[in-house]
Amino acid sequence: MTSYRKTELELNKAFDPQSCRHIMEGNTVVLHCHHYATLYTQLAMDCGMLDAKALMAECSEDTWEEFLREYFRSRGVSSVRERIALAEQSYAAAGLGRMRVTCASPESGEVTLDHSHLDEGWIKKWGHYKSPVNFIGAGYISALFSAVFDLPARSFAVTEAEAIVCGAPRSRFIVVAR
Amino acid sequence: MSIDRKKIISAMSQIEVLGNDDGLNPGFNVFVNMMPAKFWNSFAERLTRRVPAGMQEVAEALLINAAHECGYHTGYGIITSDEWKAVVEPQIKKVPEDILHGAFAIFTAWGWAKSEIVELVPNERMVVRAYDYYESDVVAYGASSKHSAYMICGVCAAFMDLAYGGPYDASGKTGLRTFNCVQTKGIECGDEYGEFVVSKA
Repeated sequence: MTSYRKTELELNKAFDPQSCRHIMEGNTVVLHCHHYATLYTQLAMDCGMLDAKALMAECSEDTWEEFLREYFRSRGVSSVRERIALAEQSYAAAGLGRMRVTCASPESGEVTLDHSHLDEGWIKKWGHYKSPVNFIGAGYISALFSAVFDLPARSFAVTEAEAIVCGAPRSRFIVVAR
Repeated sequence: MSIDRKKIISAMSQIEVLGNDDGLNPGFNVFVNMMPAKFWNSFAERLTRRVPAGMQEVAEALLINAAHECGYHTGYGIITSDEWKAVVEPQIKKVPEDILHGAFAIFTAWGWAKSEIVELVPNERMVVRAYDYYESDVVAYGASSKHSAYMICGVCAAFMDLAYGGPYDASGKTGLRTFNCVQTKGIECGDEYGEFVVSKA
């Protein structure tokens, strides 16, 4: 006999009337718009004083690695398949886009986005761009791989090989262990 | 003021915001994202601490500008939304002052900052106080020498632009940046609350 179980993300979220904060899975979460995300991204791109693009990706990685790792721990999720499914759903729940991890291992992986908040927000605001802009997404993917395979942050390098913002039908990221 | 802040906060804090089948969340004329506040704080704090000392003000101004522009466009989306029409609009008697008070009730309901207008001189000056805000989380111990509520600063100025800066301009060429905002107190700096003073640019 074969049985199937669909892995579904469940998020505990509540509004604290005292602090007026929205708390999800123990984290303060906040709504922002594509204007904010793209302007922060542009700031990172324009910053000539330091590699702020890498900084943005690191901040995304640190944020999401903590979130995903704790989510897996609190729910007792240990299988790679389930962890990946939940992480994909978490990306979508955040309104960041539709992600598919097409292959993954502790050595490498490939990830696609059929839809992307950053890319489509950028196009909506400014039109297409000549190079990838989704550093937040790249950081999320680093975090995903670290959390899925129980490896520390900065274990993976992520490169966006194709990008919706550049005119590609979907974004594609290549992941390699450092 | 005819605005019932508690009623607005109670109603608007319950709005569910999650991605659709495309993993996107269109609403209020924008794409909405919902992320841990830690991300925004981490980037702003690490950036402003890592840039050379002489460039910190420039970095801060750009962070405030991002919120200013976001607040202008998203703010307009909010005050013209179905949710606003249902919950806030029936309470509005004095335009645009009640719209401003309603906007800050929503600002509170959506977790940006527990905040309210404490002084308003129409078309001239506004003072906002924030009694709890995620941007103050950049300090876990002690008191910082720099104010860090860049988002609140930008949005305060944006809301005044919407109220008194003329008709909404989607291109942002007019209206936006009629006002600017300076943070004068901060919880992250050891003050009891954050304080934000908006005046004509």
